[in-house]
Amino acid sequence: MARTLEVLLLDDEPIVGRRLKPALDKIGCHVEVFEDPRAAVARIDEKEFDVVVTDIRMEGMDGIQVLEHVQRRWPGTRVILITGYAKMDLAREAMGKGVFDFIAKPFRPDDLRRIILRAAEDMGIFLDAAPDGGEPVDQ
Amino acid sequence: MSIIMISSDVAETEAIIAGKVAEEKGYALLDRRVLHDAANRYGVKPERLNDALENRPSLLRRLPPRQWRYYLACIEAEVLDRLLVDNIICRDVGAHLYVNGVSHAMKIRVLTGKQACREAAEREGGSLEKAEKQGFRMNRCRTAWSMAAYQKDEADPAGYDLVVSLDQIDPVEAVRTIVGASAYRKFQSMTYSTKCLTDLALAARVRAALLKSMSDMQVQARDGAVVVTARALKRRKREKVEAIKQLAGQIPGVGYVEVHVRNNIFRKAE
Repeated sequence: MARTLEVLLLDDEPIVGRRLKPALDKIGCHVEVFEDPRAAVARIDEKEFDVVVTDIRMEGMDGIQVLEHVQRRWPGTRVILITGYAKMDLAREAMGKGVFDFIAKPFRPDDLRRIILRAAEDMGIFLDAAPDGGEPVDQ
Repeated sequence: MSIIMISSDVAETEAIIAGKVAEEKGYALLDRRVLHDAANRYGVKPERLNDALENRPSLLRRLPPRQWRYYLACIEAEVLDRLLVDNIICRDVGAHLYVNGVSHAMKIRVLTGKQACREAAEREGGSLEKAEKQGFRMNRCRTAWSMAAYQKDEADPAGYDLVVSLDQIDPVEAVRTIVGASAYRKFQSMTYSTKCLTDLALAARVRAALLKSMSDMQVQARDGAVVVTARALKRRKREKVEAIKQLAGQIPGVGYVEVHVRNNIFRKAE
């Protein structure tokens, strides 16, 4: 039975949320957007999201810390890391810590949609989705 | 998806360990048989590709440097395309030297140690000292080759994710260790690592196409955008840029080509 996927999107660049929220809404996601990691973590403490998409390099708290916090609070939540500073060592560290996927900027909204759909499938959640292209999302 | 690249100081050991790991994991094994496919694809003789993997350039062997680099580029392009497919064990094609920055590609070095020398001495009826000297000479040749081809010492443990010494653990345990380590999440594929490999494969295809008629090229690719760095004399620059764009643009997957030309003929294109 189809349901809405609850997604938290965290990136300190406002344009990322502006670009990605409508793209994810189209595939059956309910997206809450945050630019401040501390505010996002406070929301995570209140609500269990299906998927958390977070940038890595942010002021105050990095994406790895957010990942660790989510895992402690809601072990079933899938975390996807996005970054403009992707390197092999960071990717391996993130995977080793249990991230669901890791994607480098710039990427197209459709790239993220595909990962989100895969996360939904991994959790046994059915979404009614029809991905299309879209302009790349930059840092 | 994961890739395990196995290298050893003794070819027979490498073959045995790689074969057993492939069997344990149910993965395909990529080895020098791929040279036949590379030879067909690029219209060269497989024995020449084999020669390029075994030896450094040499006029005596009718393997000039430019030709050697072209053959290596052909091998890289074919191997990288294969690595895009699925779970695979790779050995004996130098992949551990040119597959860089791909987090789901695990590099393993297996050191045979003194046991292999003892077995070689028994097999050939010579002394242990002679077998050790022979092994040392062969490893020095391999290091010289890998330094010439990829500016890396193949024997340097820092270039590997896991180094296993058969002096300390037996081959069965070594296989178990490799299979176990390869299951770690950090060696599994992700969107980023798959893209890195896709970019490497595209750059390799472009480089092979360019090196067929040109020399001294550096090629990088990202999401279909290709950057080529080349050398040329000032008066030939425009002609060369056009030629590179034309050749590179024909490769499937290339969306855009940018060319940087260095005018200094004494300086490599890096």
